[in-house]
Amino acid sequence: MFIPLLIISEHLFLEPYIIFSIYPESIVNFLLILILSIFAGIVISMNIFRIRQIKKTNKIGVSLFGTIIGASAGACSCGPVGFSIITTFGTAGGIATAFLDMYEIPLRIISIGILIVVFFTSLKSLKNECKIKS
Amino acid sequence: MVDKKKLIVAIVGIAIVSALGASFLLYIGQVDQMTQDIQDESEVLSVNLPPILGSTTALVTIIEMGDYQCEMCKRWYDNTRPAIIENFIDTGKANMFFIDYPILGPDSALAAEATYCADDQGKYWDYHVTLYDYQGHMNSGWANAERLKSFAFNLDLNMDEFDECLDSSKYDERVKLNWQKASAGGATSTPTFIIVNTETGNEEKIVGAQPYAVFEKAINSML
Repeated sequence: MFIPLLIISEHLFLEPYIIFSIYPESIVNFLLILILSIFAGIVISMNIFRIRQIKKTNKIGVSLFGTIIGASAGACSCGPVGFSIITTFGTAGGIATAFLDMYEIPLRIISIGILIVVFFTSLKSLKNECKIKS
Repeated sequence: MVDKKKLIVAIVGIAIVSALGASFLLYIGQVDQMTQDIQDESEVLSVNLPPILGSTTALVTIIEMGDYQCEMCKRWYDNTRPAIIENFIDTGKANMFFIDYPILGPDSALAAEATYCADDQGKYWDYHVTLYDYQGHMNSGWANAERLKSFAFNLDLNMDEFDECLDSSKYDERVKLNWQKASAGGATSTPTFIIVNTETGNEEKIVGAQPYAVFEKAINSML
């Protein structure tokens, strides 16, 4: 997830040369992508573990929701992804990408917030459900 | 009896699909409008050749395909362009021109038209720079007709001439042609650059707001 987000946000370029760049104005954006990717990785792994161990979870949906919001925020309307959205969905796509672009940082913070809440609730439930009975 | 929940989901689904369909048709209409009724290409080009930044005899030409509302174009403008101007344009090694690819809405096309109105008074690049300096959020009104006229006023342009040019959509065809050219040139996002060696015809495409090092390497490989 981290690599595709870096490519979408134009921090990582694969052509004509592989190059990584962070401009001063995009440091916050990069840090949020990093935090989001770490939390998404932890939370989704925890929930997959939970599904495999106890065959039930009600938090995977929430964690996916948080991840999708954070990942789609900042899908720059003029980048290849935004361009595809605009050409596929037309005016609605334009409005959606403009919204995601304009509120990129707040949306990423909200999604990180969601993932943090899911992380702690998953941690708590895993502690209770996986407790070894003595 | 049909489950009430399923019925609601189906209605919402149909509404979303209909809205997306209508929006797609609207967009196709806009694209058609942008690309139809182009007069004879040479006739349009004779109205206004693309203003070139730098020496006309430079060995390398940098073609930028961009949108004045594009955030990444501004990122490139702020971070990479100054070094290119200093090291390649000002030294006569390369020149540059801009092809409008106004994909982000009606204000993008209007802003592009305004640059040609400024060019009538010899201030194309000043106006180009002003637009990127004052770029706001996409379609937030920062590039509406009123703001575009105020930018012209700040550049000491003759306002009667500029207003007449912008209000009459004098360069509407020119911008449509640029859209077609950029699209035919394989641009699928902005900014897209093509670096061309004018002697050998070799070219390299660079997509996105890439850092100076990439441009330096590409241009030097053609000198």
